[in-house]
Amino acid sequence: MATAVELERAHGAGHGDDHGHADHPPTSTGLDHRKLLMWAFLASDCMFFGSLIATYMIYRGRAEDLGFAPFPSEILDIPYTSLSAFVLLMSSLTMVLALAAIQKGDHRGLRIWLAATALLGAIFLGGQYFEFTEFYHEGLSLQTNMFGASFFVLTGFHGAHVTIGVIWLLTLLFLSLRGGVKQEDSLDVELAGLYWHFVDIVWIVIFTLVYLIPYDEVTETQTGAFTYLAGILRGVASIF
Amino acid sequence: MASVAQPAGHAGPATQTVARPATKKNIGFWSWITTVDHKRIGLLYGITAFAYLLIGGIEALVIRSQLIAPNNDLVSLEKYNQFFTMHGTTMIFLAVMPLSSAFFNFIIPLQIGARDVAFPRLNAFSYWVFFFGGLILSLSWLANAAPNQGWYGYAPLTEKGFNIGRNVDFWALGLQVLGIASIAASLNFIITILNMRAPGMTLMRMPLFTWTTLITSILIVMAFPAITIALALLSFDRFAGTSFYIPYIYDEATRQVVARGGDPLLWQHLFWIFGHPEVYILILPAFGIVSEIIPVFSRKPLFGYAVMVYATATIAFLGFGVWVHHMFTTGLGPTPNAVFAASTMLIAVPTGVKILNWTSTMWGGQLNFTTPMLFSTALVSQFVIGGISGVMHGSPPIDSQHNDSYFVVAHFHYVLFGGSIFALLAGTYYWFPKFSGRMLDERLGKWHFWVTFAAFNITFFPMHFLGLEGMPRRYGTYGEGSGLQLWHVVSSVGSYLLGFSFLIFMYNVAVSLQRGKKAGNDPWDGATLEWTIPSPPPVYNFATVPVVRHRDPLWEEKYAKYEGEGHAEEETLETTIAGIKIGEGQVPDEDALEQAERRAAADDEHNIHLPNPSYWPLVTALGVFLAAFGLIFSYPRIPIGALDLPLYTAAGLLVLVAGVYGWSLEPAS
Ligand code: HEM
Ligand SMILES: [Cu+2]
Repeated sequence: MATAVELERAHGAGHGDDHGHADHPPTSTGLDHRKLLMWAFLASDCMFFGSLIATYMIYRGRAEDLGFAPFPSEILDIPYTSLSAFVLLMSSLTMVLALAAIQKGDHRGLRIWLAATALLGAIFLGGQYFEFTEFYHEGLSLQTNMFGASFFVLTGFHGAHVTIGVIWLLTLLFLSLRGGVKQEDSLDVELAGLYWHFVDIVWIVIFTLVYLIPYDEVTETQTGAFTYLAGILRGVASIF
Repeated sequence: MASVAQPAGHAGPATQTVARPATKKNIGFWSWITTVDHKRIGLLYGITAFAYLLIGGIEALVIRSQLIAPNNDLVSLEKYNQFFTMHGTTMIFLAVMPLSSAFFNFIIPLQIGARDVAFPRLNAFSYWVFFFGGLILSLSWLANAAPNQGWYGYAPLTEKGFNIGRNVDFWALGLQVLGIASIAASLNFIITILNMRAPGMTLMRMPLFTWTTLITSILIVMAFPAITIALALLSFDRFAGTSFYIPYIYDEATRQVVARGGDPLLWQHLFWIFGHPEVYILILPAFGIVSEIIPVFSRKPLFGYAVMVYATATIAFLGFGVWVHHMFTTGLGPTPNAVFAASTMLIAVPTGVKILNWTSTMWGGQLNFTTPMLFSTALVSQFVIGGISGVMHGSPPIDSQHNDSYFVVAHFHYVLFGGSIFALLAGTYYWFPKFSGRMLDERLGKWHFWVTFAAFNITFFPMHFLGLEGMPRRYGTYGEGSGLQLWHVVSSVGSYLLGFSFLIFMYNVAVSLQRGKKAGNDPWDGATLEWTIPSPPPVYNFATVPVVRHRDPLWEEKYAKYEGEGHAEEETLETTIAGIKIGEGQVPDEDALEQAERRAAADDEHNIHLPNPSYWPLVTALGVFLAAFGLIFSYPRIPIGALDLPLYTAAGLLVLVAGVYGWSLEPAS
């Protein structure tokens, strides 16, 4: 008797050509259901990040405006975070290698690169944990000022994404070690990869907006509508 | 190429018999709990949402009873706040949205010729999360802490400093949970519609209801994140001492007012960036329903189909660019007000196009005013009234008068009740035969319609006058000599009549389920694929996957008149219905035929695959529920490492993780 997963796939169809089961009926778009689902989910996730980035952009100057230290300029450590951003970017490379390996049927390669990706992700998370505790010791908490609140919520939300990604990668690694990830299941790896690359790209946006671009007094101290509209539009636009 | 006039698996009553898939335990309580069948999930949505419609209705009757006399004290003003908040929240999130979902679930796979949705277990998960979200909101009544801040939850009224109880927490977490349900369901429908259309059903041959479902789902997926984040920030304010929406606090120690830097306006922005698309989430499915019904009972295809599709897409797109019209009176300044006034007026254009198309569809048609048609035409007329008052308060100076007055209450009831609810009732009468196998009684249906129509206008039209005479929104009382009582009494009496109209409806359903006329496959002489299969449909829906060659496939099937001798592919086929030409038939392309052949081959080989029932969606949803519940009742707590989590939240997260793993690894052999 077939497994439920098989049934669902067969029923849902679209496993299509890379699977070698040509008898499954094709999907209308030719794309696999799960791949399309991942893309649609990531579009939605853009809006989650967009809303948080907009919030950050609106509030990040408030600490200076009200004189509530610590300010972003004092506390953000660009070289340190550049390093962890680099680590995360490298993990996208290892992720690509993991997918390439399983597509060629190279199970050992898959395991090595999955482990490497998960490890790099974990290093990034460790770096974030260290950064957060460091900031906390320097007096920045969720409650200190608007910069702290919006910074921790935004980067924490991203960190939660990375955490889920690492757990997902480790699960795949575990399944692969038990022989559960076949060459024709490369889509399972590809989906995790899509998610992982997305989380990386979002980090580039966050890194640029939060760390690299300094807070510009002239344009942002004005209050009223345009702060919001500009902040919101920039937040949403930045993500695309 | 072979003859194309009679392709192998053509749309139409399937005659071919197919081995029925083994369905053990397919009746009884547990089979409903573990079901992944889109039709059952649709019914579950429908029944649950109807129950909430009644609850929301009773809340409305309490509101109207309070306002029937000046200085009335039927309920306290604090309770009154809870009643109008829960009424709005219930109607929007627990009645109208899930009623639309019920139709999406039951009808969409049938309309596109599919055997289920793309992710059946995700579908079950969506329902259960919705169920638990509703439960959280309902439990607030039992905890004597129903939300009391209005359905829009304006800060800082929602902040701890003003709202110390759990009321807001029930609301915020209830909505978070409902948001998960909506996003999950919408992702599923986007993929289903894009990927599971029958061979030959190109995008521009999809029924209009399928189109509006697709666009509504995209709106949900793109708009809900804004409110999710807004609510999360609110919860941070309430649980973690941030001040995202708090500009100042009073510091007990120094006895001074201290600036915090937060801003209540951020809430309004995030809320309305979600909120305006939300009103289209509420109305577009309704537009889709009447776009199915009006052609069938005018015996003409929909006028301007393509324009209808583009208008829907335009409305959805513009819907993201008008949110500030809810904030004209917050002092954003003349420039934003002018820009958003313009975009608001602009959005009335595609909306007007739709009205025009429906009337043109009826123009010259053979009109048959059955109950579904009555409700549909009522939508067209009543929505126009609501649309016009909408455009009126799209103008900032006029809105300064309307804002927070009963005039706005009149507006959104004309669009929501006169629009959404009328269409949902129309859809119920139209598709009830497909759900149940029996027709709803027409004579009772007409009574139901006319009572509803009259009562609706008696209840809501006077609210325009009340608003212009100065009755504010959300006030549980008014003064003796204010001159407002007359219209309040009229409105309240109308609301009792409206309540009565629902009794007629329920009586009709009860009677018709027992004794209603048997429906057969196609009781209305319909045009779309759902009418090609038995009522109620078998579990696998289509014995043979249909091939679609026309926008109105079943009409083409029934009325196509082939000209000329042979069925050569150059020949156009002309379809006429009741003597009216409904268009040239499109010859199926080779791709479609090939797809059809491959599907037929797959069918033969494995018979029909149906997904197995599963407990995991329910388990996972239960995890979500417990996690949210724990945040509301933050005690008892359990320390985990550096974290100090509420016990139920920790337990919920464990159940959630177990559910996700059980689900993705589920072996069913
Ligand atoms: C022609 C299209 C429409 C226009 C131009 C329009 C315009 C407006 C405006 C300007 C307001 C703000 C009034 C105020 O608070 O002062 C408003 C409120 C509202 N509208 Fe519409 N509207 C339209 C269609 C709809 C539709 C289709 C729905 C729902 C099905 C809807 C539901 C609402 C609701 C619920 C509110 C009140 C929100 C609140 O609680 O403050 N509107 N509309
Ligand atoms: Cu609006």
